[in-house]
Amino acid sequence: MSAELIVSNLRKQFSVGRPAVDDVSFRIAAGEIVVLLGPSGCGKTTTLRCIAGLEQATSGSISIGPDLMSAPERGVQVPSRLRNIGMVFQSYAVWPHMTVKQNVAYPLRQRKVTRAEIDRRCAEVLELVGLAEYAARPVTQLSGGQMQRVALARALVYEPRLLLLDEPLSNLDAKLRLRLRDELRRIIKAAGVTALYVTHDQDEAVVLGDRIGVMQEGKLMQMSAPVDLYNRPENLFVANFTGVANFLKGELASAPGAVRLPTGDVLRIGAPPPGRAGDSVVVAVRPENIVLRPDGEAGEVANSFPARVIEGHFHGTQTTYAVETLGHRLEVIELGTVPRFNANDSIRVVIPPDLSWVFPQDAKSAVTPS
Amino acid sequence: MRALAGWLWSAALLLILSFLVLYPVAMLLLGALTNTNPVVDGFGVYDISLKNFIAVLGNPNVLLALANSLIVCGGGTLLAVAIGLTFSWVVVRTDTPCKRFIAAASLIPLFVPPLVAAVAWSILASPKTGLLNTLLASIGITWRFNAYSMFGLIVIFGIYYAPYVYMFTASALRNMDPALEEAAEISGATPIKTLFTVTFPLIAPAIISGMLLSFVVMLGIYGIPAVLGTPADIPVLTTYIFKLTNWSPPLYSTAASVAIILMIVTGFLVFLQQRVVSGRSYITVAGKAFRPGVMRLGPWRWFTLALAVVYLVVVVVLPTLALIVAGFRKFLFIRSIASLFDMKQYSLIHFERLFDNPLALRSIVNTMEVGCITAVVGGIFAFAIGYTVNRTKARGRRGIDIISTIPVAIPGLVVGVAYLWAWIGLPGGLYGTIWILALAFIARFMPDTIKALSTSMLQIHRELEEAAWICGKSLLGTIRTIVLPLARPGVIAAMTLLFILAIRELGSSLFLYTSNTMVMAVLLLDYYEGGNVGITAAFSLVQTVLLAVLIGIAHLLSRGRTDSSSVGRAG
Repeated sequence: MSAELIVSNLRKQFSVGRPAVDDVSFRIAAGEIVVLLGPSGCGKTTTLRCIAGLEQATSGSISIGPDLMSAPERGVQVPSRLRNIGMVFQSYAVWPHMTVKQNVAYPLRQRKVTRAEIDRRCAEVLELVGLAEYAARPVTQLSGGQMQRVALARALVYEPRLLLLDEPLSNLDAKLRLRLRDELRRIIKAAGVTALYVTHDQDEAVVLGDRIGVMQEGKLMQMSAPVDLYNRPENLFVANFTGVANFLKGELASAPGAVRLPTGDVLRIGAPPPGRAGDSVVVAVRPENIVLRPDGEAGEVANSFPARVIEGHFHGTQTTYAVETLGHRLEVIELGTVPRFNANDSIRVVIPPDLSWVFPQDAKSAVTPS
Repeated sequence: MRALAGWLWSAALLLILSFLVLYPVAMLLLGALTNTNPVVDGFGVYDISLKNFIAVLGNPNVLLALANSLIVCGGGTLLAVAIGLTFSWVVVRTDTPCKRFIAAASLIPLFVPPLVAAVAWSILASPKTGLLNTLLASIGITWRFNAYSMFGLIVIFGIYYAPYVYMFTASALRNMDPALEEAAEISGATPIKTLFTVTFPLIAPAIISGMLLSFVVMLGIYGIPAVLGTPADIPVLTTYIFKLTNWSPPLYSTAASVAIILMIVTGFLVFLQQRVVSGRSYITVAGKAFRPGVMRLGPWRWFTLALAVVYLVVVVVLPTLALIVAGFRKFLFIRSIASLFDMKQYSLIHFERLFDNPLALRSIVNTMEVGCITAVVGGIFAFAIGYTVNRTKARGRRGIDIISTIPVAIPGLVVGVAYLWAWIGLPGGLYGTIWILALAFIARFMPDTIKALSTSMLQIHRELEEAAWICGKSLLGTIRTIVLPLARPGVIAAMTLLFILAIRELGSSLFLYTSNTMVMAVLLLDYYEGGNVGITAAFSLVQTVLLAVLIGIAHLLSRGRTDSSSVGRAG
């Protein structure tokens, strides 16, 4: 039942401006959950709607399993109702003039399924989403979270080959969102369906996705497992988007894996970056990965530099510091309920070579260090 | 001191409202329960008994009129739903070209006075001499249009009252989350199936509401059944009521009883409609603005555009052409298509004869006078009520609110009968003056005026007033320096609306005019019934142009804010 999804060179151009979706290609294996993540207007929802058949792509192709769904150049455009996919909408889109059962049974009624079979499958899927007792209720009497479960049941009841979810949790309140988020993954995995999930919420993406695709301005910037996304960002945008706050400008030194900063200091980098000596680069470091040490503490480690604490902010379970070093102001986050440093303390910072990433510095992806 | 003034103010408003609304309605009820005639027997002579009313209920003529009313309005409503729903779907949910044009065309019939529309259609489609039938004969088709029939009435009602359904359903469709339809599509439903299982059920409250409203408006219309139904001897409630008062001696108490029946039916339907409007709405509110889901019709979009063009031709272009031809042509007899373009046949003779009759000019002057009085007095009074109800904590404002909304459920014709009963027997009273017409119009259109004013008043934030109080202004000073200047566009728009509604009103004028206070609409009907098609058409054109100019001015004054919903019940 569940099938792989292949999107190749998808482009969607609305009447004016840059394309909403710009040459996006990816593949989702059968049964896998992939999350498209990005700021609003990045083209993630448009991509989803093209796959659903609710928007017509400008070019490129979309296949589900062996079947070609959309290929404008070849004149292929299968209507949504024949694609055999399920979709959960941001606004739930459960039909308020029907009961829970009627909502869930609707797709089956379009498929000439026998009455007994409809009853059986509805009961099964309502059990799966935890709404078995609510079958006879009008949906207007449900809470937002329950309505979204109805929407999910309706999308799963006919065992679609692919499930599309368009920010399904963003209309729920924060507490409910957390609960449903974990449950959503359990339900999707239990149904065994291939899923594409669109959100702008990183926490959601990390918890739900087997892989995450980050989009920006219509382009797919990187698609990888959550751990890799956070530890091996492929470009400055992804690094910045996933919370890297420190950017040090410099140039590649002649020794492999070394970056010379304008101050003359040399940073060691774990994975030697491509490029030639003298190329302008940016070194990106996460605030969580920088280590602070009291001045004069014993032990010599790589990339240890003198620094001065500018200010510290206590956040309860963690403390954020702004420190001045290497001619930059760096942000550092230390876990723990006891702040260790005060403003104007002289300390040392250690920038771990394995968790520092080097990107070529070009005009377009230039990031202004904050 | 302050409390006493507030109390006196409320009392004064209640008193005026009782005079305008409660007293005439009470007299109407009284009239229905007597069998005396205030003109013959004198004012204040009653023989009150429920028997009189029950006798009228059992009268087969009354039942026939009631049945005809229900059939004509029911059929007209069904047609109006079909047309209104189609166009609202075409405008909101398809990629038909020129959608703005279609949207405008769908609302135009609201501005056509029903009497003028009926006159035009009698010229076009009377069974023997109708222009369309002449045309059919000239190309050898033996089939004939017949506007003088039950079917003709239903069609004319249906096409001219479709906008009421359109207004409700178009806004419901516009406010509907397109994801609801997309979900059906994803679920495997075909577009047609989606339309009938999801879209229409979801906007059912709007459809029902528009249906009830258009039914109520049709029920109260006099002009169309008078013009098209009378030749075919199809009495409906409104024409029957008028016929009763024209008997000699006039059967005023029977007319009052039938008016009560009409009022009860109307009141019940208005009540239902309000329940539907205020009831549970299916329109879900999501966080983001909707991008309306537009259906690509392909080549069919030219078909939907053609439908709109045909509608516009039938509702506006053909009737206007008919009036022009009949109004400027010396003789309406048209031998062939070619003679239609023979300029020698055309002249201003009908206009000259129209204005040779001093009554014509007087009726125009009278109408303008009544319109002005209604607009100014009604506007000020409605502002006083609107402000008191919405913005103060005056005592009795609930009562003021309720009494001022009562006229919603009273058709114009019934207002006319009620005012007739209220004033006809009173010697030296209002009857026979311009003022009885103006007061009846003020009462009749009060709910619409207050609603239009309240909307513009609600846009003035309370804090703007409170700031003035803090600065030391008195309540009246605040109204004068803050509320009125800010609400002025709204007040002017409401007064213009009232003016337009007043000058085209026929139903209530019928019972209240005398030869000295003749108004345009009534005189037009007289000319029509007198059988002079040329002058009738000429006068219709005069009124149409006058109305078009006024509506244009009103549109400019309200700076594009069309308040078509307020034209509402007026028909």
